[in-house]
Amino acid sequence: MCHQTVSLIARHLEANGIPTVIMGCARDIVEHCGVPRFLFSDLPLGNSAGRPFDAESQAATLELALRVLESAPAARTTVQSPQRWPEDASWKLDYSNVARMTPEEIAEKRKEFDVVKAVARSKREGA
Amino acid sequence: MEFAPEHDVPIPYMQRTRDYYLALGYGNPYRWAHFDDVPFTPLAKPLTQARVALITTAAPYQPGVGDQGPGAPYNAAAKFYKVYSDTTETVPDLRISHVGYDRKHTRAEDPNTWFPLAKLQQAVKSGRIGALAPRFHGAPTNRSHRTTVETDAPELLRRCREDGADVAILVPT
Repeated sequence: MCHQTVSLIARHLEANGIPTVIMGCARDIVEHCGVPRFLFSDLPLGNSAGRPFDAESQAATLELALRVLESAPAARTTVQSPQRWPEDASWKLDYSNVARMTPEEIAEKRKEFDVVKAVARSKREGA
Repeated sequence: MEFAPEHDVPIPYMQRTRDYYLALGYGNPYRWAHFDDVPFTPLAKPLTQARVALITTAAPYQPGVGDQGPGAPYNAAAKFYKVYSDTTETVPDLRISHVGYDRKHTRAEDPNTWFPLAKLQQAVKSGRIGALAPRFHGAPTNRSHRTTVETDAPELLRRCREDGADVAILVPT
C-alpha cells in the first residue's frame, strides 16, 4: 500500500508544480497508478533506497534517483536500477505467494489478518 | 545463449495480493488506483540549486506500542494516521513494522534502506543538490484512496510549499 500512497501523493505534488521522483520496489503498483518519475529497484520490499549495510548500493540508488529526477523527458518515466539482491532470484517466489502456502498456513494467516485489522481499526478510530 | 529464469521478473504484487486475499476468504478484490493521465512538471532549476523535500512512509519509533523491529512482526499498533514532519538536520529513529515489507528476506536492520536522509545530507555537502528542505514529511498509508488524495496529499503539498521545496523525493516502504 505504501507504493500506492506515495504514487497518489507524487501525482498531487506534480500537478501543483513540484517535480517528484519515487524510489521504490513495487513496479506494477506504481506504474498501474501512473506517476511522473520512478526509480525501480528490483529488491525485496523494504529496500527502496538500496541494499542493507551497503553504503555504496545506497549512494548509487540515490544518485540514480536524482538523475531520473533531473533528466526524465516525460511522464511515466521508469528507470530500473541495475542492482540485484545477493544470491539468486528465488526470493521473488515467496512474497504473499499462495501457491507456496499450505491450507494450514492460509488459515493461520487469515486469523492473523483479522487481529491486525481489528487493531488498525481501533487505532484509526481513536486517531 | 542462456536466458534468465522465468520467475526473475519484477514481482507482480497486485496479482499476488489479489490471489492471497481470495485464498484467505475475502472476496471483492481490492481495486488499485489507476489513471490514464499523468501530470508532469519540468524542473525549474538545476538540482545543484534546488531545495529537496523528502517524503517517507516510515513511522517514528513510539515507546509502548510493541515490537517495532528490526525484524518485528506486522505491528498495526505502530501505524499513524496524520501527516507528520520533523527536522532534516539530524536523522530520526524511524521504523517500518507498521507496513508490509518482505519480512522473509529482509529484516529492517538498516534504516538507510528505506529512509535516505543521511545520504541526502551528504549530497548537500558534496554540492550534488542545493539544499534539503528543513523538514522531512511522513505520509500515512492505511488510508482510503479518497483520504490520501483529499486530505493527506494536499497537506503534504502545503508543507512542501511552506518549506520552499523545489522538488520532492518520495520513498515508500
